[in-house]
Amino acid sequence: MNCELSEEQEMLKTMARDFLEKECPESFVREMEEDDDGLSLEMWHKVADLGWLGLVYPEEYGGTEGNILDLAVLHEEMGRAMLPSPYLSTVVLCGLTILNAGSEEQKADLLPKIVSGDLILSLALTEPEFSWDSRAWEPEGITARATPDGDDYIIDGSKLFVHDAHIADYLLCVARTKDEGKPEEGITLFLVDATSPGINITLLRTFTGDKQSEVIFDKVRIPKKNMVEELNGGWSPLSRVLQVGAVMLCAEMVGAGQRMVELTVDYAKTRIAFDLPIGVNQYVQEHCVSALGDVEGSRWVTFQAAWKLSEGLPCDFEVALAKAWTSEANERYCCRCHQVFSGVGTLLDDGVLPLYTRRGKSKQLYLGDASYHLKKVADEVVKWPPLEKPKGKPLGIFDVNLLEEEQVPAWEPWRERYEKIEQRKAERRAKKSQSK
Amino acid sequence: MEFGFTEEQEKLRKEVHEFFLNELPEDYVEGLGSMSKELQSFWMQLQKKAGDKRYITPGWPKEYGGMGLSGVEQAIVAEVEQSWGVLWPNFEGYIFLGPGLMLFGTEEQKKEFLPPIIRGEVLWMEGFTEPDAGSDSANINLRAVEDGEYYVLNGQKTWITGWHKPDWIFCQTRTEDTVPKHRGLTLFMVKADTPGITYRPLPGMGFATQNELFFDDVRVPKKNILGQLNNGFYHMMAIFEYERAGVGGGAGAQAALRRFIHYCREEKKNGKPLIEDPEVREKLARMAVENEMHRLIGWHAQWWFANRERLGPKPYDFSGYWAKQLPTKHAEWMLNIMGLYGQLRAGSKYVKYDGRLERSWLSGRAMHHEAGTIEINKNVLAQRGLGLPRIPAKFNMTIAQELSKGG
Repeated sequence: MNCELSEEQEMLKTMARDFLEKECPESFVREMEEDDDGLSLEMWHKVADLGWLGLVYPEEYGGTEGNILDLAVLHEEMGRAMLPSPYLSTVVLCGLTILNAGSEEQKADLLPKIVSGDLILSLALTEPEFSWDSRAWEPEGITARATPDGDDYIIDGSKLFVHDAHIADYLLCVARTKDEGKPEEGITLFLVDATSPGINITLLRTFTGDKQSEVIFDKVRIPKKNMVEELNGGWSPLSRVLQVGAVMLCAEMVGAGQRMVELTVDYAKTRIAFDLPIGVNQYVQEHCVSALGDVEGSRWVTFQAAWKLSEGLPCDFEVALAKAWTSEANERYCCRCHQVFSGVGTLLDDGVLPLYTRRGKSKQLYLGDASYHLKKVADEVVKWPPLEKPKGKPLGIFDVNLLEEEQVPAWEPWRERYEKIEQRKAERRAKKSQSK
Repeated sequence: MEFGFTEEQEKLRKEVHEFFLNELPEDYVEGLGSMSKELQSFWMQLQKKAGDKRYITPGWPKEYGGMGLSGVEQAIVAEVEQSWGVLWPNFEGYIFLGPGLMLFGTEEQKKEFLPPIIRGEVLWMEGFTEPDAGSDSANINLRAVEDGEYYVLNGQKTWITGWHKPDWIFCQTRTEDTVPKHRGLTLFMVKADTPGITYRPLPGMGFATQNELFFDDVRVPKKNILGQLNNGFYHMMAIFEYERAGVGGGAGAQAALRRFIHYCREEKKNGKPLIEDPEVREKLARMAVENEMHRLIGWHAQWWFANRERLGPKPYDFSGYWAKQLPTKHAEWMLNIMGLYGQLRAGSKYVKYDGRLERSWLSGRAMHHEAGTIEINKNVLAQRGLGLPRIPAKFNMTIAQELSKGG
């Protein structure tokens, strides 16, 4: 048990914080929100130069061979700064899928370009029909079809809420290639050149500070070699990467939440009302304490999940609980922080709080909201075996029927009550044996 | 950063787990306390056995009956104990007195008091709270007046937890009136059968074994002062640092949940096991999530405490914050899963789950305030943890006067 970051992780954290404080101030965040692309290529290349894009890739592709925990440390800082970037889509969701399931050719071709900042990818997963609920993240929610045609596949279908599609060079499309059998047994992943004829990308308008699109695939032709992993084998590597992605979103929420609490406490100490700082009021203190409690809880469940992913340990329970808790905690502390800031906290032009809380909404929902992940937790938890039964000789002194009476110790000041209870029990036993 | 344990730590966990697996009887029921003389003697014997193996306080130095290990091992053992529903009869001796002696005791005191604790032969009760000194813990009125080689104690203590007849009582007294309240307190170790001490039961909803203690001219030798005269408040604060409400809590609750989940597997509702009902599943999932979150917060606190020399004081600790909120909420949820059946007591016709939940629901009410109210907890978190402003206590009398004027 060790709750400290390693020296390298501390260095990464400090470097990231310093860089982002300087290069990604609030004004930049606002600028990018207004910008059509929402991305500054200049910034993206600076990020690449820092080695962040290759953080978890092997050296042979230009990476620095970090682990998922390192990735979480970086994501916390990116979440704190609200860095507008396709990092999650490119490096984590698509990049890690290619790393784990792509062919040697695909890896050699694409990963170095991701690391150098020359390639942006977007995961096209969720579909309009299923965007209402959990099925967005389930194999049942995949109906976009990929049909074989000679050496190619033809993709037809519609994807919605696709992050960063509008600037992507490639889309990683999750398509159905088989109907028989279980839904997860008929899913295949395809790398689709975003300039392919038949692709129609429409940027949606969200209030969540990110860029999500509708992507329509209309008889899009792609070569067979663009299949990632084998035919009908796409769901397994994808679901593992979705777990990593979910934990990274948690890390971003932790970074954002931490800063939100800092800003809120600061405000409570400096804003004067009735001649005193408002922080002197216990209601205001309650908001701050509750918010910090939720952020702290989020921090540790997130980092435990990230550690387990790093170690390759089974962690379906830990990942699901991290996203479930962190998503709901985010809802709560966004609310609490707004309550302390009150009016000032709702000003769109000046206030930083709305920037955080609006982004929070997207992160709560993306890659599975609390309700979806709670179902996953339930699936794990109902498998827990019962507790072991002790092996000692039965003694006949642990009688669950002792619970029938109020609990009373068997020593002096309680003697009167104890004896009354013993008497009542004896009478009841006598009555029972009589009635038999 | 890592969330696993070393091989030795896992070995210790396994050993202690197997100790309980083998020593507890097949017909063990958790949480019955010492409701009968037989149970009392069972727990005292088991406490001796566990103490002999040094399983109770592995974090204490070897010369004091520990294994010389750290707070981490102490917490591992606490997790195992809590998951079996075990609470040692002398838990207050282990939590308060042992650390108190190790921190402030003289050599003679350590020689006199620690060995019986180590052998598991003696029972301690703590006496801090008074009718007017609960949250306001410095408002102690139990007076200790010097008289030759003794101090004479007069006053009252309340909310004293005690399943068992104590051998010794560890209490906070007032020895000085002319200084600010918290500077005139002294800790005394009082033999429980000293003439002048009487007890009265205080049955309540929660940990239903609270007592009142009355001191009438109780003579305590000077050598039984723990630490310095008039420094009792600060000694107490230092000792409370050792009372980690967190670690065992999360793991213990998770074990209780596992037991409940197994019940949900077997119990049927409308012909189907409870465990297939989506509403039940959601509640089970939420409880598991919150318990795990609480467990990790507790571990963070415990890890920091084990490394406190290097890290300094922990700025804020949420382990108590969750320990005081989750048990009630979860007991409520579990009870609600049973619908109207949740109202039934053990022994009633139609009662479900042996009526165990009644107890957790009732004691859940007490969790808000045991070992400190959650409100005080939040105040400390806000004011000391976050540095939010606090109106100095010196204004309280003025405010009280204003209020009594109706102003």
